[in-house]
Amino acid sequence: MSAADELARLTADPCVVADNVAMKYQVISTEEQTEVPRFGWKILQRFTPRPNTVTVHALNRLSLVVRRGESVGIIGRNGSGKSTLMKLVSGQVRPTGGAIHASSTPIMLGVNAALVPELSGDQNVVLGCLAMGLSRDEIDARFDEIVEVSGLEKSIHLPMKSYSSGMGSRLRFAIAACGNPEILLVDEALNTGDAQFAARSKRRMDELREKAGCVLLVSHSLDTIKDMTGRVVWLDKGDLIMDGNPKDVTKKYMEFTNHLARGNNISAHGLRADVMASLEVANVVNQRGGDRSFTAAG
Amino acid sequence: MTEITAELPKPAVVRDVPVDLSKLSRVGARPPFLDYLVQLWDFRQFIYYDARARVQSGTRRDKLGSAWLILNPVFNGMTYFLVFGLLLKTSKGIPNFISYLVIGIFMFQITSGAIVSGARSMQQNKALVQGFSFPRAALPIGVNVRELLANIPLIIAMLLIILVVPPVEPISWRWLLLVPVLALQFIFNLGIGLILARIISRVNDVTHLLPFTLRLLMYMSAVFYSLDRFSNHPTIYWLMQANPMFLIIDITRDAVMYGVTPSWHSWAMLSAWASIALIVGMLFFWKAEESYVRG
Repeated sequence: MSAADELARLTADPCVVADNVAMKYQVISTEEQTEVPRFGWKILQRFTPRPNTVTVHALNRLSLVVRRGESVGIIGRNGSGKSTLMKLVSGQVRPTGGAIHASSTPIMLGVNAALVPELSGDQNVVLGCLAMGLSRDEIDARFDEIVEVSGLEKSIHLPMKSYSSGMGSRLRFAIAACGNPEILLVDEALNTGDAQFAARSKRRMDELREKAGCVLLVSHSLDTIKDMTGRVVWLDKGDLIMDGNPKDVTKKYMEFTNHLARGNNISAHGLRADVMASLEVANVVNQRGGDRSFTAAG
Repeated sequence: MTEITAELPKPAVVRDVPVDLSKLSRVGARPPFLDYLVQLWDFRQFIYYDARARVQSGTRRDKLGSAWLILNPVFNGMTYFLVFGLLLKTSKGIPNFISYLVIGIFMFQITSGAIVSGARSMQQNKALVQGFSFPRAALPIGVNVRELLANIPLIIAMLLIILVVPPVEPISWRWLLLVPVLALQFIFNLGIGLILARIISRVNDVTHLLPFTLRLLMYMSAVFYSLDRFSNHPTIYWLMQANPMFLIIDITRDAVMYGVTPSWHSWAMLSAWASIALIVGMLFFWKAEESYVRG
Protein backbone atom coordinates (compact mmCIF):
# COMPACT_ATOMS: atom_id res chain seq x y z
CA MET A 1 0.00 0.00 0.00
CA SER A 2 1.50 3.33 -1.05
CA ALA A 3 1.79 6.27 1.28
CA ALA A 4 -0.82 8.23 -0.70
CA ASP A 5 -3.32 5.37 -0.44
CA GLU A 6 -2.64 5.10 3.22
CA LEU A 7 -3.25 8.79 3.71
CA ALA A 8 -6.48 8.66 1.70
CA ARG A 9 -7.63 5.76 3.82
CA LEU A 10 -6.85 7.49 7.06
CA THR A 11 -8.49 10.78 6.19
CA ALA A 12 -11.77 9.35 4.88
CA ASP A 13 -14.77 9.67 7.15
CA PRO A 14 -15.22 6.77 9.51
CA CYS A 15 -18.39 4.73 8.99
CA VAL A 16 -18.08 2.24 11.80
CA VAL A 17 -15.96 2.68 14.90
CA ALA A 18 -15.63 -0.13 17.40
CA ASP A 19 -14.23 1.46 20.51
CA ASN A 20 -12.86 -1.13 22.91
CA VAL A 21 -15.83 -3.45 22.48
CA ALA A 22 -16.00 -6.64 24.46
CA MET A 23 -18.67 -9.24 24.78
CA LYS A 24 -19.11 -11.92 27.34
CA TYR A 25 -22.03 -14.19 28.02
CA GLN A 26 -23.18 -15.91 31.17
CA VAL A 27 -24.29 -19.36 30.14
CA ILE A 28 -25.40 -22.45 31.95
CA SER A 29 -22.94 -25.29 31.85
CA THR A 30 -23.79 -28.92 32.37
CA GLU A 31 -20.22 -29.56 33.52
CA GLU A 32 -20.03 -30.88 37.10
CA GLN A 33 -18.84 -28.38 39.65
CA THR A 34 -15.32 -29.25 40.75
CA GLU A 35 -15.36 -28.05 44.33
CA VAL A 36 -17.76 -29.98 46.55
CA PRO A 37 -20.01 -27.54 48.35
CA ARG A 38 -20.44 -27.74 52.10
CA PHE A 39 -23.41 -29.67 53.40
CA GLY A 40 -25.64 -26.67 54.09
CA TRP A 41 -24.92 -25.18 50.72
CA LYS A 42 -25.79 -28.40 49.01
CA ILE A 43 -29.33 -28.33 50.34
CA LEU A 44 -29.67 -24.68 49.50
CA GLN A 45 -28.53 -25.29 45.95
CA ARG A 46 -31.20 -27.89 45.50
CA PHE A 47 -33.85 -25.27 46.06
CA THR A 48 -32.28 -22.47 44.10
CA PRO A 49 -32.68 -23.30 40.45
CA ARG A 50 -29.38 -21.68 39.49
CA PRO A 51 -27.24 -24.21 37.71
CA ASN A 52 -23.55 -23.91 37.17
CA THR A 53 -22.97 -20.75 35.15
CA VAL A 54 -19.87 -20.05 33.14
CA THR A 55 -18.68 -16.84 31.57
CA VAL A 56 -17.80 -17.11 27.91
CA HIS A 57 -15.61 -14.37 26.51
CA ALA A 58 -16.92 -14.17 22.97
CA LEU A 59 -14.92 -11.08 22.16
CA ASN A 60 -12.06 -9.52 24.08
CA ARG A 61 -11.41 -5.81 23.99
CA LEU A 62 -11.11 -4.79 20.39
CA SER A 63 -10.97 -1.52 18.52
CA LEU A 64 -11.56 -1.13 14.84
CA VAL A 65 -12.13 1.84 12.57
CA VAL A 66 -13.80 1.23 9.21
CA ARG A 67 -13.86 4.16 6.87
CA ARG A 68 -16.15 5.12 4.03
CA GLY A 69 -15.44 3.16 0.88
CA GLU A 70 -13.80 0.27 2.70
CA SER A 71 -14.80 -3.34 2.31
CA VAL A 72 -13.63 -5.34 5.27
CA GLY A 73 -13.56 -9.11 5.40
CA ILE A 74 -13.62 -10.93 8.71
CA ILE A 75 -12.08 -14.38 8.92
CA GLY A 76 -11.42 -16.82 11.70
CA ARG A 77 -12.20 -20.29 12.92
CA ASN A 78 -15.58 -21.29 14.35
CA GLY A 79 -16.16 -19.59 17.66
CA SER A 80 -13.63 -16.88 16.97
CA GLY A 81 -16.14 -14.08 17.54
CA LYS A 82 -16.87 -13.15 13.92
CA SER A 83 -20.62 -13.42 14.20
CA THR A 84 -20.54 -11.82 17.63
CA LEU A 85 -18.77 -8.82 16.15
CA MET A 86 -21.37 -8.60 13.40
CA LYS A 87 -24.20 -8.80 15.92
CA LEU A 88 -22.61 -6.02 17.93
CA VAL A 89 -22.15 -3.80 14.90
CA SER A 90 -25.71 -4.38 13.72
CA GLY A 91 -27.03 -3.53 17.17
CA GLN A 92 -28.66 -6.93 17.67
CA VAL A 93 -26.69 -7.35 20.84
CA ARG A 94 -25.36 -4.70 23.15
CA PRO A 95 -21.67 -5.07 24.00
CA THR A 96 -20.80 -5.71 27.62
CA GLY A 97 -17.88 -3.32 27.30
CA GLY A 98 -17.05 -0.39 25.04
CA ALA A 99 -19.32 0.89 22.30
CA ILE A 100 -19.95 0.74 18.58
CA HIS A 101 -20.43 4.03 16.78
CA ALA A 102 -21.78 4.24 13.26
CA SER A 103 -22.69 6.95 10.83
CA SER A 104 -26.09 5.37 10.18
CA THR A 105 -27.99 2.26 11.16
CA PRO A 106 -26.09 -0.75 9.82
CA ILE A 107 -28.20 -3.33 8.05
CA MET A 108 -27.33 -6.98 8.44
CA LEU A 109 -27.97 -9.32 5.58
CA GLY A 110 -28.20 -12.61 7.29
CA VAL A 111 -30.47 -15.51 7.80
CA ASN A 112 -32.45 -15.07 10.94
CA ALA A 113 -35.58 -16.69 12.20
CA ALA A 114 -38.97 -15.76 10.89
CA LEU A 115 -40.18 -12.29 11.65
CA VAL A 116 -43.76 -12.80 12.76
CA PRO A 117 -44.61 -16.44 12.03
CA GLU A 118 -48.40 -15.99 12.14
CA LEU A 119 -48.39 -13.31 9.46
CA SER A 120 -48.18 -14.04 5.78
CA GLY A 121 -45.06 -13.37 3.74
CA ASP A 122 -46.38 -10.19 2.17
CA GLN A 123 -47.48 -8.85 5.56
CA ASN A 124 -44.02 -9.59 6.89
CA VAL A 125 -42.49 -7.70 3.98
CA VAL A 126 -44.52 -4.60 4.77
CA LEU A 127 -43.94 -4.94 8.50
CA GLY A 128 -40.19 -5.48 8.11
CA CYS A 129 -39.81 -2.54 5.76
CA LEU A 130 -41.83 -0.29 8.07
CA ALA A 131 -39.58 -1.42 10.91
CA MET A 132 -36.57 -0.30 8.87
CA GLY A 133 -38.17 3.11 8.59
CA LEU A 134 -39.41 2.98 5.00
CA SER A 135 -42.69 4.71 4.21
CA ARG A 136 -45.75 2.94 2.80
CA ASP A 137 -45.25 4.57 -0.60
CA GLU A 138 -41.67 3.40 -0.83
CA ILE A 139 -42.73 -0.10 0.14
CA ASP A 140 -45.52 -0.19 -2.43
CA ALA A 141 -43.05 0.95 -5.07
CA ARG A 142 -40.52 -1.73 -4.18
CA PHE A 143 -42.87 -4.53 -3.21
CA ASP A 144 -42.66 -6.43 -6.51
CA GLU A 145 -38.89 -6.14 -6.52
CA ILE A 146 -38.71 -7.60 -3.00
CA VAL A 147 -40.94 -10.51 -3.92
CA GLU A 148 -38.83 -11.10 -7.00
CA VAL A 149 -35.58 -11.13 -5.03
CA SER A 150 -37.09 -13.56 -2.52
CA GLY A 151 -38.24 -15.80 -5.35
CA LEU A 152 -41.27 -16.85 -3.33
CA GLU A 153 -43.84 -16.09 -6.03
CA LYS A 154 -47.28 -17.36 -4.90
CA SER A 155 -46.08 -18.55 -1.51
CA ILE A 156 -45.70 -14.92 -0.48
CA HIS A 157 -49.36 -14.99 0.58
CA LEU A 158 -48.97 -17.96 2.91
CA PRO A 159 -48.25 -17.57 6.64
CA MET A 160 -44.56 -17.43 7.32
CA LYS A 161 -44.70 -20.36 9.73
CA SER A 162 -45.52 -22.60 6.78
CA TYR A 163 -42.24 -21.67 5.07
CA SER A 164 -39.25 -23.94 4.86
CA SER A 165 -36.13 -22.55 6.49
CA GLY A 166 -34.69 -21.74 3.07
CA MET A 167 -37.79 -19.84 2.04
CA GLY A 168 -37.78 -17.92 5.31
CA SER A 169 -34.18 -16.87 4.95
CA ARG A 170 -34.74 -15.82 1.36
CA LEU A 171 -37.58 -13.58 2.42
CA ARG A 172 -35.49 -12.23 5.27
CA PHE A 173 -32.69 -11.42 2.86
CA ALA A 174 -35.04 -9.76 0.39
CA ILE A 175 -36.47 -7.53 3.10
CA ALA A 176 -33.09 -6.52 4.47
CA ALA A 177 -31.77 -5.89 0.97
CA CYS A 178 -34.63 -3.59 -0.02
CA GLY A 179 -33.32 -0.65 1.93
CA ASN A 180 -30.17 0.86 0.46
CA PRO A 181 -28.02 0.74 3.56
CA GLU A 182 -24.97 2.93 3.94
CA ILE A 183 -23.39 0.31 6.14
CA LEU A 184 -23.89 -3.24 4.97
CA LEU A 185 -23.11 -6.29 7.04
CA VAL A 186 -23.06 -9.63 5.26
CA ASP A 187 -22.97 -12.92 7.06
CA GLU A 188 -21.68 -15.83 5.06
CA ALA A 189 -24.64 -17.96 6.02
CA LEU A 190 -26.28 -16.43 2.97
CA ASN A 191 -24.79 -19.18 0.91
CA THR A 192 -27.75 -21.31 1.87
CA GLY A 193 -30.49 -21.69 -0.65
CA ASP A 194 -30.62 -23.16 -4.10
CA ALA A 195 -28.41 -22.17 -7.00
CA GLN A 196 -31.06 -19.99 -8.56
CA PHE A 197 -31.43 -17.93 -5.42
CA ALA A 198 -27.67 -17.83 -4.89
CA ALA A 199 -27.20 -16.16 -8.25
CA ARG A 200 -30.02 -13.71 -7.64
CA SER A 201 -28.85 -12.80 -4.17
CA LYS A 202 -25.28 -12.34 -5.33
CA ARG A 203 -26.44 -9.91 -8.00
CA ARG A 204 -28.46 -7.93 -5.46
CA MET A 205 -25.57 -7.94 -3.02
CA ASP A 206 -23.13 -6.66 -5.64
CA GLU A 207 -25.51 -3.79 -6.35
CA LEU A 208 -25.76 -3.01 -2.68
CA ARG A 209 -22.02 -3.18 -2.20
CA GLU A 210 -21.48 -0.68 -4.96
CA LYS A 211 -23.89 1.76 -3.37
CA ALA A 212 -22.96 1.17 0.25
CA GLY A 213 -20.56 3.39 2.12
CA CYS A 214 -18.81 0.44 3.67
CA VAL A 215 -19.21 -3.30 3.86
CA LEU A 216 -18.33 -5.84 6.53
CA LEU A 217 -18.27 -9.38 5.25
CA VAL A 218 -17.92 -12.58 7.23
CA SER A 219 -16.95 -15.63 5.25
CA HIS A 220 -15.12 -18.90 5.52
CA SER A 221 -14.35 -18.78 1.84
CA LEU A 222 -10.99 -17.07 1.48
CA ASP A 223 -11.56 -16.65 -2.24
CA THR A 224 -14.74 -14.67 -1.62
CA ILE A 225 -12.83 -12.57 0.88
CA LYS A 226 -9.99 -11.89 -1.52
CA ASP A 227 -12.43 -11.08 -4.33
CA MET A 228 -14.65 -8.75 -2.44
CA THR A 229 -12.63 -6.96 0.19
CA GLY A 230 -9.76 -4.53 0.40
CA ARG A 231 -8.89 -5.24 4.01
CA VAL A 232 -9.11 -8.33 6.16
CA VAL A 233 -9.40 -8.77 9.90
CA TRP A 234 -8.46 -12.10 11.45
CA LEU A 235 -10.11 -13.01 14.72
CA ASP A 236 -9.28 -16.01 16.86
CA LYS A 237 -10.94 -16.94 20.15
CA GLY A 238 -12.21 -13.42 20.53
CA ASP A 239 -8.85 -11.77 19.94
CA LEU A 240 -7.85 -9.57 17.06
CA ILE A 241 -4.86 -11.33 15.51
CA MET A 242 -4.15 -9.46 12.33
CA ASP A 243 -5.52 -6.53 10.38
CA GLY A 244 -4.16 -5.77 6.95
CA ASN A 245 -4.44 -6.30 3.22
CA PRO A 246 -6.26 -9.45 2.09
CA LYS A 247 -3.25 -11.18 0.56
CA ASP A 248 -1.03 -11.05 3.66
CA VAL A 249 -3.75 -11.85 6.17
CA THR A 250 -5.23 -14.79 4.28
CA LYS A 251 -1.74 -16.17 3.70
CA LYS A 252 -0.93 -16.15 7.41
CA TYR A 253 -4.36 -17.52 8.23
CA MET A 254 -3.87 -20.38 5.77
CA GLU A 255 -0.53 -21.20 7.35
CA PHE A 256 -2.17 -21.20 10.76
CA THR A 257 -5.04 -23.49 9.76
CA ASN A 258 -2.64 -25.79 7.91
CA HIS A 259 -0.59 -26.21 11.07
CA LEU A 260 -3.74 -27.00 12.99
CA ALA A 261 -4.99 -29.44 10.38
CA ARG A 262 -1.72 -31.33 10.60
CA GLY A 263 -1.96 -31.37 14.39
CA ASN A 264 0.96 -29.01 14.94
CA ASN A 265 -0.78 -27.10 17.69
CA ILE A 266 2.45 -25.72 19.08
CA SER A 267 3.66 -24.23 15.82
CA ALA A 268 0.17 -22.94 15.12
CA HIS A 269 0.08 -21.12 18.40
CA GLY A 270 3.61 -19.90 17.90
CA LEU A 271 2.55 -18.41 14.61
CA ARG A 272 -0.53 -16.88 16.20
CA ALA A 273 1.58 -15.28 18.92
CA ASP A 274 4.13 -13.98 16.40
CA VAL A 275 1.47 -12.42 14.22
CA MET A 276 -0.22 -10.92 17.20
CA ALA A 277 3.01 -9.48 18.49
CA SER A 278 3.43 -7.45 15.32
CA LEU A 279 -0.14 -6.21 15.41
CA GLU A 280 -0.77 -2.53 15.28
CA VAL A 281 -3.56 -1.87 17.74
CA ALA A 282 -5.83 1.06 17.16
CA ASN A 283 -6.66 3.30 20.06
CA VAL A 284 -9.75 5.31 19.27
CA VAL A 285 -9.34 8.93 20.23
CA ASN A 286 -12.31 11.22 20.04
CA GLN A 287 -11.38 14.27 18.06
CA ARG A 288 -13.95 17.01 17.91
CA GLY A 289 -14.80 18.26 14.45
CA GLY A 290 -12.75 21.34 13.64
CA ASP A 291 -10.38 21.64 16.54
CA ARG A 292 -7.19 19.66 16.52
CA SER A 293 -6.84 18.96 20.19
CA PHE A 294 -7.25 15.28 20.97
CA THR A 295 -9.55 14.25 23.77
CA ALA A 296 -9.71 10.79 25.17
CA ALA A 297 -12.70 8.74 24.10
CA GLY A 298 -15.25 8.43 26.87
CA MET B 1 -14.48 -22.77 27.27
CA THR B 2 -13.47 -22.35 30.88
CA GLU B 3 -9.77 -22.31 30.09
CA ILE B 4 -7.89 -19.30 31.34
CA THR B 5 -6.59 -17.29 28.44
CA ALA B 6 -2.84 -17.26 28.40
CA GLU B 7 -1.03 -13.97 28.78
CA LEU B 8 -1.42 -12.26 25.43
CA PRO B 9 1.65 -10.96 23.65
CA LYS B 10 1.91 -7.21 23.80
CA PRO B 11 0.99 -5.62 20.48
CA ALA B 12 3.83 -3.98 18.59
CA VAL B 13 2.34 -0.53 18.35
CA VAL B 14 -0.62 1.16 19.89
CA ARG B 15 -1.57 3.74 17.37
CA ASP B 16 -3.93 6.57 18.26
CA VAL B 17 -6.65 6.89 15.68
CA PRO B 18 -8.33 10.27 15.85
CA VAL B 19 -12.01 9.90 15.08
CA ASP B 20 -14.70 12.51 15.19
CA LEU B 21 -17.28 10.60 17.19
CA SER B 22 -19.67 13.52 17.25
CA LYS B 23 -20.56 12.79 13.61
CA LEU B 24 -21.40 9.19 14.48
CA SER B 25 -24.03 7.84 16.74
CA ARG B 26 -23.70 4.88 19.02
CA VAL B 27 -25.40 1.81 17.61
CA GLY B 28 -28.54 1.01 19.57
CA ALA B 29 -28.21 4.09 21.75
CA ARG B 30 -31.26 5.29 23.62
CA PRO B 31 -32.37 8.72 22.41
CA PRO B 32 -33.48 11.46 24.80
CA PHE B 33 -37.09 11.03 25.91
CA LEU B 34 -38.64 13.68 23.69
CA ASP B 35 -36.73 12.44 20.63
CA TYR B 36 -37.97 8.99 21.52
CA LEU B 37 -41.56 10.16 21.40
CA VAL B 38 -40.92 11.81 18.04
CA GLN B 39 -39.40 8.57 16.74
CA LEU B 40 -42.46 6.67 17.92
CA TRP B 41 -44.64 9.10 16.02
CA ASP B 42 -42.53 8.48 12.92
CA PHE B 43 -43.17 4.78 13.30
CA ARG B 44 -46.94 5.20 13.55
CA GLN B 45 -47.47 3.37 10.25
CA PHE B 46 -45.54 0.43 11.59
CA ILE B 47 -47.59 0.42 14.78
CA TYR B 48 -50.88 0.57 12.93
CA TYR B 49 -49.93 -2.04 10.35
CA ASP B 50 -48.64 -4.37 13.04
CA ALA B 51 -51.91 -3.99 14.94
CA ARG B 52 -54.17 -4.50 11.95
CA ALA B 53 -52.31 -7.47 10.51
CA ARG B 54 -52.44 -9.26 13.83
CA VAL B 55 -56.14 -8.70 14.38
CA GLN B 56 -56.78 -10.51 11.14
CA SER B 57 -54.49 -13.39 11.89
CA GLY B 58 -55.27 -13.67 15.61
CA THR B 59 -58.06 -16.23 15.48
CA ARG B 60 -57.36 -17.78 12.10
CA ARG B 61 -56.62 -21.13 13.68
CA ASP B 62 -60.14 -21.46 15.11
CA LYS B 63 -63.03 -22.68 12.99
CA LEU B 64 -65.34 -19.96 14.24
CA GLY B 65 -62.65 -17.32 13.63
CA SER B 66 -63.37 -13.83 14.90
CA ALA B 67 -66.62 -14.98 16.50
CA TRP B 68 -64.53 -16.04 19.47
CA LEU B 69 -63.79 -12.44 20.24
CA ILE B 70 -67.45 -12.17 21.28
CA LEU B 71 -68.24 -15.74 22.30
CA ASN B 72 -65.45 -15.71 24.84
CA PRO B 73 -66.86 -12.97 27.10
CA VAL B 74 -70.40 -14.24 26.48
CA PHE B 75 -69.49 -17.65 27.89
CA ASN B 76 -67.61 -15.92 30.64
CA GLY B 77 -70.71 -13.91 31.46
CA MET B 78 -72.87 -17.04 31.48
CA THR B 79 -70.50 -18.75 33.88
CA TYR B 80 -70.53 -15.86 36.30
CA PHE B 81 -74.28 -15.50 35.98
CA LEU B 82 -74.67 -19.15 36.91
CA VAL B 83 -72.28 -19.02 39.84
CA PHE B 84 -72.82 -15.58 41.28
CA GLY B 85 -76.28 -14.73 40.05
CA LEU B 86 -78.09 -18.04 40.56
CA LEU B 87 -76.02 -19.97 43.10
CA LEU B 88 -74.47 -17.37 45.36
CA LYS B 89 -77.08 -14.67 44.73
CA THR B 90 -74.66 -11.77 44.84
CA SER B 91 -77.17 -10.12 42.53
CA LYS B 92 -79.28 -9.08 45.51
CA GLY B 93 -80.26 -5.44 45.21
CA ILE B 94 -79.15 -5.12 41.59
CA PRO B 95 -82.20 -4.59 39.40
CA ASN B 96 -80.85 -5.43 35.92
CA PHE B 97 -78.26 -7.98 36.91
CA ILE B 98 -77.53 -9.34 33.43
CA SER B 99 -76.65 -5.93 31.99
CA TYR B 100 -74.77 -5.10 35.17
CA LEU B 101 -72.73 -8.28 34.88
CA VAL B 102 -72.19 -7.99 31.12
CA ILE B 103 -70.78 -4.48 31.39
CA GLY B 104 -68.51 -5.53 34.23
CA ILE B 105 -67.16 -8.60 32.47
CA PHE B 106 -66.77 -7.09 29.03
CA MET B 107 -65.05 -3.95 30.28
CA PHE B 108 -62.80 -5.99 32.54
CA GLN B 109 -61.97 -8.35 29.71
CA ILE B 110 -60.78 -5.41 27.60
CA THR B 111 -58.31 -4.31 30.25
CA SER B 112 -57.08 -7.76 31.23
CA GLY B 113 -56.58 -8.79 27.59
CA ALA B 114 -54.70 -5.61 26.77
CA ILE B 115 -52.50 -5.77 29.85
CA VAL B 116 -51.55 -9.40 29.30
CA SER B 117 -50.70 -8.89 25.63
CA GLY B 118 -48.89 -5.65 26.34
CA ALA B 119 -46.84 -7.33 29.02
CA ARG B 120 -45.78 -10.15 26.71
CA SER B 121 -45.23 -7.99 23.66
CA MET B 122 -41.45 -7.74 23.99
CA GLN B 123 -40.96 -11.43 24.55
CA GLN B 124 -43.21 -12.60 21.77
CA ASN B 125 -41.56 -10.39 19.17
CA LYS B 126 -37.94 -11.19 19.84
CA ALA B 127 -37.26 -11.82 16.15
CA LEU B 128 -38.51 -8.36 15.22
CA VAL B 129 -36.59 -6.73 18.04
CA GLN B 130 -33.36 -8.43 17.08
CA GLY B 131 -33.80 -7.91 13.37
CA PHE B 132 -34.59 -4.23 13.23
CA SER B 133 -33.82 -1.14 15.22
CA PHE B 134 -37.09 0.70 15.78
CA PRO B 135 -38.20 2.36 19.01
CA ARG B 136 -39.18 -0.62 21.11
CA ALA B 137 -42.25 0.98 22.65
CA ALA B 138 -43.81 0.59 19.20
CA LEU B 139 -44.51 -3.04 20.05
CA PRO B 140 -46.53 -2.57 23.26
CA ILE B 141 -48.35 0.33 21.63
CA GLY B 142 -49.08 -1.80 18.56
CA VAL B 143 -50.42 -4.58 20.74
CA ASN B 144 -52.72 -2.17 22.55
CA VAL B 145 -53.98 -0.74 19.29
CA ARG B 146 -54.62 -4.29 18.14
CA GLU B 147 -56.63 -5.00 21.28
CA LEU B 148 -58.60 -1.82 20.74
CA LEU B 149 -59.44 -2.80 17.17
CA ALA B 150 -60.31 -6.33 18.19
CA ASN B 151 -62.59 -5.01 20.94
CA ILE B 152 -64.83 -2.97 18.69
CA PRO B 153 -67.11 -5.97 17.96
CA LEU B 154 -67.01 -6.76 21.66
CA ILE B 155 -68.35 -3.32 22.57
CA ILE B 156 -71.08 -3.61 19.95
CA ALA B 157 -72.02 -7.04 21.31
CA MET B 158 -72.15 -5.62 24.82
CA LEU B 159 -74.51 -2.84 23.77
CA LEU B 160 -76.67 -5.30 21.82
CA ILE B 161 -77.04 -7.57 24.84
CA ILE B 162 -78.10 -4.61 26.93
CA LEU B 163 -80.64 -3.63 24.25
CA VAL B 164 -82.03 -7.11 23.75
CA VAL B 165 -82.07 -8.83 27.14
CA PRO B 166 -84.93 -7.58 29.32
CA PRO B 167 -85.25 -5.30 31.15
CA VAL B 168 -84.25 -3.23 28.15
CA GLU B 169 -82.38 -0.01 28.79
CA PRO B 170 -83.16 2.94 26.54
CA ILE B 171 -80.52 4.43 24.26
CA SER B 172 -79.50 7.92 25.28
CA TRP B 173 -76.87 10.45 24.25
CA ARG B 174 -74.89 9.26 27.26
CA TRP B 175 -73.91 6.14 25.34
CA LEU B 176 -71.47 8.42 23.53
CA LEU B 177 -69.59 8.73 26.82
CA LEU B 178 -68.29 5.24 26.06
CA VAL B 179 -65.80 6.88 23.70
CA PRO B 180 -63.92 8.87 26.36
CA VAL B 181 -64.14 5.90 28.74
CA LEU B 182 -62.53 3.62 26.18
CA ALA B 183 -59.90 6.24 25.41
CA LEU B 184 -58.95 6.56 29.07
CA GLN B 185 -59.05 2.78 29.45
CA PHE B 186 -56.74 2.45 26.45
CA ILE B 187 -54.25 4.89 27.95
CA PHE B 188 -54.38 3.14 31.31
CA ASN B 189 -53.89 -0.33 29.75
CA LEU B 190 -50.99 0.92 27.69
CA GLY B 191 -49.24 2.45 30.69
CA ILE B 192 -49.56 -0.73 32.77
CA GLY B 193 -48.58 -2.85 29.75
CA LEU B 194 -45.39 -0.81 29.25
CA ILE B 195 -44.38 -1.21 32.88
CA LEU B 196 -45.01 -4.95 32.83
CA ALA B 197 -43.30 -5.40 29.45
CA ARG B 198 -40.05 -4.10 30.87
CA ILE B 199 -40.33 -6.15 34.05
CA ILE B 200 -41.18 -9.36 32.20
CA SER B 201 -38.42 -8.90 29.66
CA ARG B 202 -36.04 -9.04 32.62
CA VAL B 203 -37.80 -11.33 35.12
CA ASN B 204 -39.94 -13.80 33.26
CA ASP B 205 -41.31 -15.24 36.50
CA VAL B 206 -43.71 -12.33 36.77
CA THR B 207 -45.82 -13.85 33.96
CA HIS B 208 -46.88 -16.52 36.44
CA LEU B 209 -48.12 -13.89 38.89
CA LEU B 210 -50.06 -11.94 36.30
CA PRO B 211 -53.20 -14.15 36.18
CA PHE B 212 -53.57 -14.07 39.96
CA THR B 213 -53.17 -10.32 40.13
CA LEU B 214 -55.73 -9.82 37.40
CA ARG B 215 -58.15 -12.22 39.09
CA LEU B 216 -57.77 -10.27 42.32
CA LEU B 217 -58.33 -7.03 40.45
CA MET B 218 -61.53 -8.45 39.01
CA TYR B 219 -62.88 -9.50 42.39
CA MET B 220 -62.07 -6.04 43.69
CA SER B 221 -63.87 -4.26 40.89
CA ALA B 222 -67.51 -5.05 41.73
CA VAL B 223 -68.00 -7.01 38.53
CA PHE B 224 -70.71 -9.30 39.92
CA TYR B 225 -71.77 -7.68 43.17
CA SER B 226 -72.87 -4.26 44.22
CA LEU B 227 -70.49 -1.88 45.95
CA ASP B 228 -73.25 -1.12 48.46
CA ARG B 229 -72.31 -4.32 50.30
CA PHE B 230 -69.39 -2.39 51.73
CA SER B 231 -71.24 0.78 52.63
CA ASN B 232 -70.58 -0.02 56.30
CA HIS B 233 -66.83 -0.33 55.81
CA PRO B 234 -65.58 3.15 54.89
CA THR B 235 -61.98 2.06 54.21
CA ILE B 236 -62.89 -0.77 51.85
CA TYR B 237 -65.56 1.41 50.27
CA TRP B 238 -63.05 4.19 49.65
CA LEU B 239 -60.39 1.83 48.33
CA MET B 240 -62.80 0.19 45.94
CA GLN B 241 -63.89 3.54 44.62
CA ALA B 242 -60.30 4.52 43.94
CA ASN B 243 -59.73 1.34 41.92
CA PRO B 244 -59.27 2.36 38.28
CA MET B 245 -60.97 -0.79 37.00
CA PHE B 246 -64.00 -0.12 39.18
CA LEU B 247 -64.07 3.46 37.91
CA ILE B 248 -64.11 2.29 34.29
CA ILE B 249 -66.93 -0.17 34.95
CA ASP B 250 -68.88 2.22 37.13
CA ILE B 251 -68.74 5.08 34.64
CA THR B 252 -69.86 2.75 31.86
CA ARG B 253 -72.77 1.47 33.94
CA ASP B 254 -73.85 5.00 34.79
CA ALA B 255 -73.79 6.11 31.19
CA VAL B 256 -75.19 3.02 29.49
CA MET B 257 -77.46 1.40 32.07
CA TYR B 258 -78.60 3.92 34.60
CA GLY B 259 -78.92 6.88 32.27
CA VAL B 260 -76.98 9.03 34.72
CA THR B 261 -74.16 11.33 33.75
CA PRO B 262 -71.10 9.98 35.59
CA SER B 263 -69.81 12.32 38.27
CA TRP B 264 -66.90 14.64 37.50
CA HIS B 265 -65.21 13.06 40.49
CA SER B 266 -65.04 9.65 38.77
CA TRP B 267 -63.84 11.19 35.53
CA ALA B 268 -61.08 13.12 37.30
CA MET B 269 -59.96 10.06 39.21
CA LEU B 270 -59.87 7.88 36.11
CA SER B 271 -58.04 10.54 34.09
CA ALA B 272 -55.46 10.79 36.84
CA TRP B 273 -54.96 7.02 36.86
CA ALA B 274 -54.64 6.90 33.09
CA SER B 275 -52.20 9.77 32.75
CA ILE B 276 -50.03 8.64 35.63
CA ALA B 277 -49.93 5.09 34.25
CA LEU B 278 -48.95 6.32 30.80
CA ILE B 279 -46.27 8.76 31.95
CA VAL B 280 -44.71 6.34 34.41
CA GLY B 281 -45.01 3.50 31.87
CA MET B 282 -43.37 5.41 29.04
CA LEU B 283 -40.50 6.67 31.19
CA PHE B 284 -39.95 3.30 32.80
CA PHE B 285 -40.00 1.49 29.45
CA TRP B 286 -37.77 4.04 27.74
CA LYS B 287 -35.15 3.80 30.49
CA ALA B 288 -34.39 0.20 29.47
CA GLU B 289 -34.63 0.80 25.72
CA GLU B 290 -31.15 -0.61 25.08
CA SER B 291 -31.63 -3.80 27.02
CA TYR B 292 -34.55 -5.37 25.14
CA VAL B 293 -32.39 -6.92 22.44
CA ARG B 294 -30.48 -9.04 24.88
CA GLY B 295 -31.70 -12.42 26.04
